[in-house]
Amino acid sequence: MKNIMMPEPHEILSVLKETQAEYTFRVACDSKPLHGQFFMLSIPKIGEAPISVSGKGPGYVEFTIRKVGRLTEGVFGLKAGDTMFMRGPYGNAFPVEQFENKNLLVITGGTGLAPVRTLINHFYDHPEICKSVYLISGFKDVDAVLFTDDIRRFKDKFHMTATLDNTAAPGFETGLVTEHIKKIPFPSFDDFNVVVVGPPVMMHFAARELIANGVDESKIWVSFERKMSCAVGKCGHCKINETYVCLEGPVFNYVKAKELLD
Amino acid sequence: MNARSFYLDLMENREKLYRFLSSIYQKEVDRALLTQMKAMTFPSEAEAPSLTEGYRMLKDYLDQIDERKARIPEDEVTDLAADYAKIFLAAGISQGSAAFPYESVYTSPERIIMQDAWETVRKLYESVGLIKNVETSGLFEDHIALELEFMAFLCEESHRDPDCSDWLIKQREFLRDHLLNWVPSFTADVNQYADTAFYKGIAKITEGFLRFDKEILAGISAPFDEERIENQNEVGETAFSLNPENMDQILQELKKEYRIFAPKRYEKRGAKSSSDLIRYGEINSVQEIVHESQSDFSPKEIYYPITQTMIRFQENQSIEEPSADSRGVLIFARPCDINGIKRLDNIFLENGGHGDIYYERLRDKVRFIMMECGGGWDDCFCVSMGTNKTEDYSMAIRFDQKNLLVSVKDQAFDPYFSGEKSNEFTDENTKVTPENVDFTPQFVTSNKKKVRLPKIQNRQQLKKASDLEFWKEFDEQCIGCGGCSAVCGTCSCFDTVDIIYDETSSDGERRRVWSSCMLDTYTMTAGGSRFRKTPGANMRFKTLHKVYDYNLRFGDEEHMCVGCGRCDRRCPKEISFFDIICRLSEELEYRNRKVER
Ligand SMILES: Cc1cc2nc3c(=O)[nH]c(=O)nc-3n(C[C@H](O)[C@H](O)[C@H](O)COP(=O)(O)OP(=O)(O)OC[C@H]3O[C@@H](n4cnc5c(N)ncnc54)[C@H](O)[C@@H]3O)c2cc1C
Ligand code: SF4
Ligand code: SF4
Ligand code: FES
Repeated sequence: MKNIMMPEPHEILSVLKETQAEYTFRVACDSKPLHGQFFMLSIPKIGEAPISVSGKGPGYVEFTIRKVGRLTEGVFGLKAGDTMFMRGPYGNAFPVEQFENKNLLVITGGTGLAPVRTLINHFYDHPEICKSVYLISGFKDVDAVLFTDDIRRFKDKFHMTATLDNTAAPGFETGLVTEHIKKIPFPSFDDFNVVVVGPPVMMHFAARELIANGVDESKIWVSFERKMSCAVGKCGHCKINETYVCLEGPVFNYVKAKELLD
Repeated sequence: MNARSFYLDLMENREKLYRFLSSIYQKEVDRALLTQMKAMTFPSEAEAPSLTEGYRMLKDYLDQIDERKARIPEDEVTDLAADYAKIFLAAGISQGSAAFPYESVYTSPERIIMQDAWETVRKLYESVGLIKNVETSGLFEDHIALELEFMAFLCEESHRDPDCSDWLIKQREFLRDHLLNWVPSFTADVNQYADTAFYKGIAKITEGFLRFDKEILAGISAPFDEERIENQNEVGETAFSLNPENMDQILQELKKEYRIFAPKRYEKRGAKSSSDLIRYGEINSVQEIVHESQSDFSPKEIYYPITQTMIRFQENQSIEEPSADSRGVLIFARPCDINGIKRLDNIFLENGGHGDIYYERLRDKVRFIMMECGGGWDDCFCVSMGTNKTEDYSMAIRFDQKNLLVSVKDQAFDPYFSGEKSNEFTDENTKVTPENVDFTPQFVTSNKKKVRLPKIQNRQQLKKASDLEFWKEFDEQCIGCGGCSAVCGTCSCFDTVDIIYDETSSDGERRRVWSSCMLDTYTMTAGGSRFRKTPGANMRFKTLHKVYDYNLRFGDEEHMCVGCGRCDRRCPKEISFFDIICRLSEELEYRNRKVER
């Protein structure tokens, strides 16, 4: 019987500093996670935490990690050649097939761009299977901007709005992501989906704004973050009503998401 | 021939064939083995077609060595050695394709050695005390030769200990989970890569024998079992009346194979310093068992320890913590608690579609001695929760005035009572002489407390239940100590904690420790934000989990709460969970009535 709690050592191939508090780790790994899935990363003696896959390629996966506490701080001390323990991938994924050959709007707040990065790249690499991609990515300020190169690339192919909460900088708009939603030409879309990922408050208000703009709830997809100690449906921490976020999530359609009462 | 000697012969013959096949795969055949084989007679009509064909091919091959007397056996040996190297080691084949004789190769997606299968069989060997002698074999544990040899070992054990069906079960499982899982594809490859009729024949025999052996194993049982089944049919559950001294002798005997747990009294360790604590612990004598009152803690800590080491980290390795004790676990428990373990089973074995190894390996060992419950306690409401009855026990016990009545349901325990397993008591006076009696355990049919479960039929009603004002009362009352979860037999949540042995080394371990949704840190994420912020919200979450969510998820008419009432007795703030369920149901009924009007 497989030990579902057992992490395996993986080699860190490279570390890229995105911002002061966010680094991207490329780790040797042969598994092929789906868009939106996550792994449990751990460092012996410190602990374990769920981290989304922010990039993938032959023989590696990437994680973009924000330094916020004990484990994430420990991870920041690692460098290329060091060992990262991990198990996964876990959770469900964005229903990519359902997004194909339609219009897609992706709204992200801060590190929320990480879990949707592979999804966006999928359409970047295969523009023929998508009618159009709109992207609104909000950051606190210019120092908090992630994936600068990607944002530049995305601007070439997609309708990309990068925005800073309340400061101005070249190449960026100003204002919360919610303020940019009204600019999206929903009536010109024949069929579309919206993906919203970010802090809980941001997802809540973005969904409200989308609905106010006539978007049907069933077209909205969100990704939840909850405290997780196991990611395999045993520890109970991520449970909301009868739903386990680690098993049935983290991705939820808004019709389901709005009725989950913590 | 009687059943017993038939069984013994069968085990012996099977062992021989397994060993023979194993030796063929272990290395190139040498002259000695070849000569030996030539002397063997093979059945011309075997029980399975591919066996017959395999034997025929092998026989033809061996016969032709004789016919061509001109060829010296050395040539044959060299030919066979070359074929062995080609088939199993890919020698001389440019693409490197061969029939690599490892289970891992056939069961891992990458087709490489030392994968999951290797891990599993290694642990299996270790679990029966077999340690591979690497130097002599040089093969990994999931090599076909070693897997066949393992079967031979199990046959040998069955032969040695015909009363024990465990060895037989192990054979069935190993054949199903391992050998038959990959060997048919492997032998097909052998057939393809082999040049000699010798190895083609061996492949046929191997495959045919394994398939046939599966049928053999399905059709037999240990002779001892058979006798007992006959007994069982005659008398059904056997029941005995014993005095405590007799029972203690049986316990001593049982202790050789089981750790035995029961509710015990720990003086002056209770919640109030003057009171005693009744808690599960290992016992030596039935006199230690507290049966005249309920236990403060559930038996959960036996199969789901408060803190449990899962993984040890050494350098850059993660190592699974082995189980501490191989003995079985016998627990004296009431029906509510036996029902409680089914809730933990659902979470640890079923939820998410995968089992938790640490729980499973302990849980597999657990057998219950059901303590007949007189009911009549003040706090429990098992009848309302449907947990007053159970069939899941090996023995049942009633603590009568002076004597004990024991009903033995699981035949594995019969020998302890029939005197068979107590031969060592030579002293006539103390010899166990249980008296056969009529005893069928009774179940409680009514409690002092009765509860109506809330009727929540849809999401709107759930929302209404969540929004009730009365949850806020607990913001003041409940201090979030989590004591209620600690005593509960069905609370299953845990945290993981990493421990370091010493600051400077990277060695350490990962444990899991009981947690509780009543703790204010339960939903806390980095930076201190919480998804449920108040004791009232926690109480709502716990209550709905116990009497609604779990049932919605797992169905089966069962709830997470089994109505044992322990949490009510434990709470330092005298909050009654029973009252909360009643309140919730009333409030909802009241509100629903208002809507109807
Ligand atoms: C599905 C999912 C995907 C995530 N993806 C990312 C990502 O791509 N990048 C990123 O930077 N962060 C991500 N997070 C958040 C990340 O897990 C937390 O920041 C991290 O657990 C903090 O751990 P810590 O030990 O540094 O913090 P501490 O505050 O020291 O946390 C102690 C423990 O609490 C738990 N915990 C704390 N915060 C969270 C949280 N937000 N979610 C779940 N458990 C938590 C963990 O078990 C952690 O070990 C994700 C969370 C989830 C649930
Ligand atoms: S919630 Fe209370 S009454 Fe129900 S099973 Fe747990 S401890 Fe017993
Ligand atoms: S209900 Fe009582 S026992 Fe449970 S957490 Fe609150 S105060 Fe502690
Ligand atoms: S994270 Fe443990 S149950 Fe979901």
